[in-house]
Amino acid sequence: MSKIERGTVIDHIPDWKADTVTKVLRLDRQALMESNASVAILQNVVSKQLGRKDIVKIDSWRVREKDADILSLVFPGVTINYIEDGKVTKYRPTVPDLIEGGLKCPELSCISNAEREPVVPKFVTLKPERLMRCHYCDTLIGFDSVPEHVRT
Amino acid sequence: MKRATDLAGRDIISARDFEREGIEDILKRTAELESNPGLVYGSQKGKLAALLFFEPSTRTYSSFQIAAERLGMKVSGFAGPSGSSVAKGETLHDTVRMFEGYGTDIFVIRHPKMGAARFAAEVSDTPVVSAGDGSREHPTQALLDLYAIRKAFGAIDGLKVGMLGDLRYGRTSSSLAYALSNFDVGITFIAPDALQMRQEVSHFLGQKGVKPRTESSLRSVVGELDVLYVTRIQRERIPDPTEFEKVKGMYEVNREALREAKPTLKVMHPLPRVDELSTDLDGTEHAHYFIQAAGGLPIRTVLLNMVLGGAA
Repeated sequence: MSKIERGTVIDHIPDWKADTVTKVLRLDRQALMESNASVAILQNVVSKQLGRKDIVKIDSWRVREKDADILSLVFPGVTINYIEDGKVTKYRPTVPDLIEGGLKCPELSCISNAEREPVVPKFVTLKPERLMRCHYCDTLIGFDSVPEHVRT
Repeated sequence: MKRATDLAGRDIISARDFEREGIEDILKRTAELESNPGLVYGSQKGKLAALLFFEPSTRTYSSFQIAAERLGMKVSGFAGPSGSSVAKGETLHDTVRMFEGYGTDIFVIRHPKMGAARFAAEVSDTPVVSAGDGSREHPTQALLDLYAIRKAFGAIDGLKVGMLGDLRYGRTSSSLAYALSNFDVGITFIAPDALQMRQEVSHFLGQKGVKPRTESSLRSVVGELDVLYVTRIQRERIPDPTEFEKVKGMYEVNREALREAKPTLKVMHPLPRVDELSTDLDGTEHAHYFIQAAGGLPIRTVLLNMVLGGAA
């Protein structure tokens, strides 16, 4: 990949976890929508801070801050570098109090999974316990299992 | 839900929202209404209640219907999905919007999906009272359960309450557990692993400092209990039929099962019963379930009246 003029670099991903990042951010789906986007995955890179880490570089596509925040549920230390016209702006994702959209409730009987009902799934985060609770059915989900509940 | 007036215009979605002061107020008003049934008759005259039951119901539907009529209200809606637009595939969202357009003053909603009442409350500016949503909650049942307990013992604090049966898929036991967390009670969940209480219920209780005991057998705990709350296996909600086959008929509460119980033990059940609660208990001092069910009418009359801003 040539030098990114516009795009996103996701840094400080724990080593060998880049595939989880692509899953949470639904990069395959985004790539379909943004035909110009190309993705480079670097794995097991030497890092002063982590020893080893993964990096995901995405050319011509800006990861939404909202999605980066969801990523931080799984990887709290992840950092985002936005590149516009070659200039880098850092973004440190934070766990939001409420997550709207992006994730799917694992409880099939939840109203947020009902066919044709115009419901946006919402989850309240319980940060110290690394849990989130479905706003509708109260089902609890651990932060670590977020990749299994990404809406496809 | 702190003071009675706080309920005016409010939704009743979850027993998680109940606080002790609010519960005490409702129970007190219900007792007053029972001793003077004419107290609130006609007090909401001219108002319209929409009873939207996306799942069939007998007791809950009838008690809300009679309650609304005693308050002088007109009642519209449906008692089950068949014969309504729901059978044609109309969504909860559209049904609520439509009835709101007809000038509904209060919604009473039962729905098979968990969280449906909360969603309806978001869709509508009109107050929503949940009459049960999926296997999640049945908050007004919890209030009538507390009312029945209070009626039997005069107080709720200090009692030991066992909940037996399908705690995972039964909505009444989770709402009752939430409501009981406002009192100083001992709670025991008695169920096989597959039907034990859901994680989110135990988590909520833990946050309120309540640590329920879990047991798989009634025998080991029956002698300690003041209240035994029996629930049926929710066949319609168990996703895997083989799971149902494994647990059906696992418990039957009858005279024999209560041989070591305190003479003062009260057996409660949200009804309908299948084979988990024997009719041989019906004539005994333990049987409290019909008294319990009768409380549904005054409790729901009081609630509708309070949500609609009634004084009594």
